[in-house]
Amino acid sequence: MTTPILSVSNAVKRYGDVHALDHVSQDIADGEFLTLLGPSGSGKTTLLSAIAGFITLDEGRIALRDTDITRQPPEHRDFGMVFQGYALFPTMTVRDNVAFPLKVRKRPAAEIRARVDECLDLVQMGQYADRMPSQLSGGQQQRVALARALSFHPQVLLLDEPLSALDKKLRADLQWELKALHDRLGVTFIYVTHDQEEALSMSDRIVILKDGKIQQDGKPGELYNRPVNSFVADFLGKSNFIDVTVTGAEGDLLHCEAKGASFPAIASENGPRSGQARAALRPERLRLAAPGEEFLPARVRQVSYLGERCQVIVTHDTLGDLLVSCPTWKTDITPAPDLPVSIGWDRDACVLLAPE
Amino acid sequence: MMPVSPFRIFFQTGAWMVTAFLVLPLLVVIPVSLTDTSYIGLPKEHLSLQHYANYFASPDWLKATWTSIWIGTIVATCATVLGTSFAIGCWFLSDRASAIARWVLITPILVPPVVQSLGFYRFWVKLGLIDTSTGVILAHTLLALPYVSISVFAALANLDRNIPRAARSLGASVRQTVMAVIVPAARPGMLTGFVFAFIVSFDEIVGVLFITVRRVTTLPKQIWEGIQDNIDPTIASVATLLVILTLIVTAIGALRRS
Ligand SMILES: Nc1ncnc2c1ncn2[C@@H]1O[C@H](COP(=O)(O)OP(=O)(O)O)[C@@H](O)[C@H]1O
Ligand SMILES: [Mg+2]
Repeated sequence: MTTPILSVSNAVKRYGDVHALDHVSQDIADGEFLTLLGPSGSGKTTLLSAIAGFITLDEGRIALRDTDITRQPPEHRDFGMVFQGYALFPTMTVRDNVAFPLKVRKRPAAEIRARVDECLDLVQMGQYADRMPSQLSGGQQQRVALARALSFHPQVLLLDEPLSALDKKLRADLQWELKALHDRLGVTFIYVTHDQEEALSMSDRIVILKDGKIQQDGKPGELYNRPVNSFVADFLGKSNFIDVTVTGAEGDLLHCEAKGASFPAIASENGPRSGQARAALRPERLRLAAPGEEFLPARVRQVSYLGERCQVIVTHDTLGDLLVSCPTWKTDITPAPDLPVSIGWDRDACVLLAPE
Repeated sequence: MMPVSPFRIFFQTGAWMVTAFLVLPLLVVIPVSLTDTSYIGLPKEHLSLQHYANYFASPDWLKATWTSIWIGTIVATCATVLGTSFAIGCWFLSDRASAIARWVLITPILVPPVVQSLGFYRFWVKLGLIDTSTGVILAHTLLALPYVSISVFAALANLDRNIPRAARSLGASVRQTVMAVIVPAARPGMLTGFVFAFIVSFDEIVGVLFITVRRVTTLPKQIWEGIQDNIDPTIASVATLLVILTLIVTAIGALRRS
């Protein structure tokens, strides 16, 4: 790997008894789209604020390429930042907002004008240059904030839940645009969100945080298919959990015994290979069929129709409730409450995790 | 016709009576100021502008007016600068210490003016500030500070706390952030505070009576002394001029807002 653009090592930040960051280390590659994902209170904003220079770490260091920037004030770091609440300067026009970073850098007026126009066009806000921020919708304000944060060619762009205040449809549009912008500009993005779909759809790499600790990091597909613990398995998409005992191994495939069922599962990195374990099973990997066609008999308890998919809760005598997500266009059976069915899954559908 | 509820009648009558009670004493100075007599009273035979002429011809009255204006302006300026700095500082800190500091700063509003003036008197004697304009300016600035900081606090109350962070990340130093982003947002509050501070100083009498003797005379003190020494209707003319001035300023303010 080439030298990372940013390198956080052993970052610790405490607020009283709360460990907002608990020995966090992470290297960020140049040009990467990295997402910090975690539930509210997991330390995402704290980590981003430390990178931006708004807070000082209790321990640890942050390096930009080879320079230690742990104690450098934010204005010397050259990182653009976009906030959930836009944080536009309310007394300045859109144009003056975008020009602000160039003005404090004392660029010539002609250059500022050209660059501001260029950046506003980049986010399709050229026609609003002379409006005040209060005259714009939330989505438009966020575009302006983005133009402002990019206008001075920052080394890294930090985004703290930039789309969380917007409605669902607009959020989806802006996700595509942000991704396209990233691919076009090649700037490193560090993106904070608590929305797992957003993280999965945009990121080159995701870091999952919980209680100030990194749980796992990797490409979206790796995290989704090979979670290392039940928190990741349930936070990034949903998972069914089945308590099992490992009875044997065959390469990467382990044989599991649960109450009333036995099936194979894949071992996870650093996961158990014998004894007590917990199998994680994605709802969409479960198949629903007529009684007798699959290997476990069950009964439908509840059905929730979501348009392209249908969420079904089925009950197995000893395994309990399992969530099944099946495409609505597959019509071999129409699930309805109390319908007897059978369920099954492929040999590689289960991932074996440490027991709780 | 809709039946009119007795409550409505009661409250409407009440409201009008209170209004009359508030306004009539103000209005009574108008006929008094136009009196043709040489003592305070209603006009006897005809209306006269002699007491207005007297005001504009009297060096004492004009000097006192001028003193009040320039002291008020300096006080308003000092109080605006200090009060705004204080409010912005507290806004940045926004912790327990700054919450306490805010309370301490507004105590001058809560302490009775006589008690406060006594305090000024004792200190100003020690500092040699008795009967000096500096002493008056200093005392008035202290009295006006809370009004400025309260109105600046109000102006900053809705400012997003991430705004200074945004400015810093965009390359602005702390100083640039305050000057370019925070002060403009505080400006409406500063303006209100400036006007309030000027009025506080222009209007203040208790402190002035305690800490000045002969050399410094402000308009309220001149009015006070006018009532004590002789019952000169010029006081009513001055009062009427002030009422008219206030009405004009208020009207301009209301028109600008609408
Ligand atoms: N200024 C602060 N004072 C006290 N506690 C804080 C402060 N900032 C963050 N915390 C605490 O640190 C933890 C992490 O917060 P944060 O980084 O904001 O989480 P996230 O952005 O993931 O929701 C939370 O428990 C939060 O209460
Ligand atoms: Mg946050």
